[in-house]
Amino acid sequence: MTVATLEKPDGALGPVDSDVMSESKADAAHARTVEIDSEPPENAELDVGAESDRARRVRFERDAMQYVDQLYSAAMRMTRNPQDAEDLVQEAYTKAYSAFHQYKPGTNLKAWLYRILTNTYINIYRKKQRQPHQANTDTVEDWQMAQAAEHTSSGLRSAEAEALDHLPDSDVKEALQKIPEEFRLAVYFSDVEGFAYKEIAQIMDIPIGTVMSRLHRGRKLLRSLLADYARERGFSRKEGK
Amino acid sequence: MMGESIDPEKAARAAEAMTDCLNCDDDEAQQRLERIYEYLDGALSYDDIREVRSHLEGCPECASNYDLECVIRDTVRRCCTEEAPETLKVTILQRISTIRIDSGH
Repeated sequence: MTVATLEKPDGALGPVDSDVMSESKADAAHARTVEIDSEPPENAELDVGAESDRARRVRFERDAMQYVDQLYSAAMRMTRNPQDAEDLVQEAYTKAYSAFHQYKPGTNLKAWLYRILTNTYINIYRKKQRQPHQANTDTVEDWQMAQAAEHTSSGLRSAEAEALDHLPDSDVKEALQKIPEEFRLAVYFSDVEGFAYKEIAQIMDIPIGTVMSRLHRGRKLLRSLLADYARERGFSRKEGK
Repeated sequence: MMGESIDPEKAARAAEAMTDCLNCDDDEAQQRLERIYEYLDGALSYDDIREVRSHLEGCPECASNYDLECVIRDTVRRCCTEEAPETLKVTILQRISTIRIDSGH
């Protein structure tokens, strides 16, 4: 089977892989292997150019609307508040629908939607926020890395998982939120959505090597931040006695 | 609250242990950790996967880093799964029903 290359208008993706698993267990390690030549779905032969507006809307509702919850979760990690997240998802879906005739059936719709979401976020919300971000990335990271390095080592790893398991969701979200944005999104796309490096590269429009370095640095930062929270939880309870 | 069932000393030790591999100047330790990331990401070749698996069997430190990484990922996934408000879906459907598309045919 051959895979056609897509024209790349605003937010459209080239062919990407079939759905990938998100388990983190050893046996799932193969699950994200990139497969370009996946089996064509039933509508692969669909002539999207000849499709009526009505048929397109039906197809969009059937295929794209199932990802609203997932895109909303991602939007929450981007905008940090429910109202902005809703607006962002709404805007992304509107764009996706307007460009739906450019989406090639049989390619990865979820990744295509995520790319539109990410583009929309970067173009609208990040500009609006006017927060220092890109430029401060290295500084923030160095500072956090330096703090991480102050921790002394000791054993007893079995307790770590337990401590993590007991962290409230709010701590975990906060920790994630403290990671510089481009690292955070890469980690989110990988850990929560189970996207492969190649898909993340397409979604964020960066080279695969950059995806890997963002993931490595983001994960190390997250680990050290979660450790901070675990420590704070432990100490605050002790002091409260 | 869930957080209160942690033993404070245990939590402190756990927190220190979690960053063991990060404060190590040893580049090799960093690389081993990154190897575990890539392994879990499904980004390694078949030969590399076999190599990592056999290393994990013989190296308790990497094995616990591996376990910890699994827990971190599970935790992140658990905490970041949110349901969109029902009204959002309705609004989206309403909005797209007003859009007419000229796909150039």
